[in-house]
Amino acid sequence: MVSYSALVLILVLIAVLTLLGVNSAAFAQETTERYLSARIEIWALFYRLMVVAFVIGAVVMGTMTYVIWRFRESHPKNRGDITPAAGGGAHH
Amino acid sequence: MVLEVRKPRPLWEILFSTHHTDIGLLYIIFSLTLFFLGGALAISIRTELFLPGAQVFEDANTFNRVFTVHGTTMLFLWVIPFAAGIGNYLIPIMVRYKDMAWPKLNAVAFWMIPVGAALVWLGFADTTWNAYPPYSILRAPGPAAEMWIFGLKILGISSILGAINFVVTILKMKHPDLPMMKLPLFTWSILSTSLIILMSMPTFAAALIMLYTDRLGVSGFFNPAMGGDPLAYQHLFWFTFHPEVYVFVIPAIGMIYEIIPKFSRKPIFSYTSGITAFILLTIVSFASWAHHMFATGMSFTEKTVFMIGTLAAVPASAMHIFNWIATMWGGRIRFKAPIAFVVGGIITFFLAGAGGVVNSAMPLDFLTHDSYWVVGHMHLFLMGIITFAFVGFIYYLFPLITGRMYNERAAMIQFWLMFIGVFLVFVTQHLLGLYGMPRRVVDYVPVEPLIIMNQISTVGAYMLLVGMGIFLFNLIKSAGWGKPANMEDPFGIREKYYDYRRREPHH
Repeated sequence: MVSYSALVLILVLIAVLTLLGVNSAAFAQETTERYLSARIEIWALFYRLMVVAFVIGAVVMGTMTYVIWRFRESHPKNRGDITPAAGGGAHH
Repeated sequence: MVLEVRKPRPLWEILFSTHHTDIGLLYIIFSLTLFFLGGALAISIRTELFLPGAQVFEDANTFNRVFTVHGTTMLFLWVIPFAAGIGNYLIPIMVRYKDMAWPKLNAVAFWMIPVGAALVWLGFADTTWNAYPPYSILRAPGPAAEMWIFGLKILGISSILGAINFVVTILKMKHPDLPMMKLPLFTWSILSTSLIILMSMPTFAAALIMLYTDRLGVSGFFNPAMGGDPLAYQHLFWFTFHPEVYVFVIPAIGMIYEIIPKFSRKPIFSYTSGITAFILLTIVSFASWAHHMFATGMSFTEKTVFMIGTLAAVPASAMHIFNWIATMWGGRIRFKAPIAFVVGGIITFFLAGAGGVVNSAMPLDFLTHDSYWVVGHMHLFLMGIITFAFVGFIYYLFPLITGRMYNERAAMIQFWLMFIGVFLVFVTQHLLGLYGMPRRVVDYVPVEPLIIMNQISTVGAYMLLVGMGIFLFNLIKSAGWGKPANMEDPFGIREKYYDYRRREPHH
């Protein structure tokens, strides 16, 4: 299980990487001379962000898939008597 | 049973009731009806775009009217009233009070909605659901635009009245022995939503009056010819409607928190982080409205502020997703329709959120602005997590409302049709946007990639149509002739269900 601090660290890292990339292209269309290279920079940033999104997406979707598969009621390790977990349901 | 289908009451008794379950039921039935009507308009739009050239609509103006009413219907007559309906049904039960704080006001708030809906549908305006000036004040045909303005005005007042009622019911009418930190997260979600409505909606109410007086020609708030500024309207509009995005999604998140622990047979992983995330979302919802306006020539500083404000929603949303996954982890999940829809909704929530991060990065926003990417992104949220959570929750509440069980197999077929359909329609629309297809167009350039992607999108829309047909059939047939539910534990999960014995005297 990922701890909270690790999660926060990952999120901060992503935010910094995103902002660094964004800052480099933020003035994209300020001057005509930079227009073409700015377009390339913007698309490069787009692809970079999409790579980040797909990597995180793969981790989250992979975890979801594992959870759905492993902790489904019909999984061999989950058969037997149903005993509600301690704590008594959703409402505490 | 609350609805007592097997011992039906006269219709007038439900229509004129002020009891929270009756009002809740009216909200739910009304919003579902409008959902199907708005869906029919969506199908006509997708049919039109199946091929380039005219297919369904003779002229662009009719097309504009159709997508305007489609958008207005889905946002204001499906999502908001449905959440209010579920809130009406459950909040008094959850806070252990006999009814909403002001039952008559509650009934008034509901009955304003059909009036607003009638104005929107009879007018059939073409302003788009944003009604941006100068078109909406100078050229949009009347009286349709006026009817739209008054319809939205009435719907806004209804939302405010409903929100006041929820806030007072939760904060002042809850049982004295029930501390806030023991309330279900769904109650917190409705509280957050209501606070957002109360803070944001008056701004749009003022903007609508200004829009109307501009149309009359007696003012020029947004009319450049009279010294006004159309962008001022965009600020007022998005100050209300970016927070409104959270008004749409937060109740859905609350419903997911009701379903996941029950079907995973585990307590919520972190109740406190759920509340924290709701509070964070409520706050940051007001810090990001101008990210809809990056292309309007804002200064770099403004754009940076709103970009960071938008990204601030990511940690709070991630907390919810983490919480749901951690709750399911180690559980014994019984995959009935409610949790199937919820899991599908979480997956689309993540995808839509990832697309949103791209939108919020200001240079990238120029790539996607006013393109079909935006249509795909918005719909992935609305048809993805929000509608999936709502449909899942209808199935979850079905035994409480009707005393009967829905058809599980039909519900699962519907789930798969909708899950695949949503991906086909809306992920494809993201790509259409990257290929340069603008939004809100009746026709497009007849080039192969656009034609193929539009056709994929339309096929997905027809899958959604079939899914919705099954949904409607399932609801009607099961409500009338479904198997009587075991009301103590209708899903056989050995978890506490809502108190079906709750019978309060009708007012």
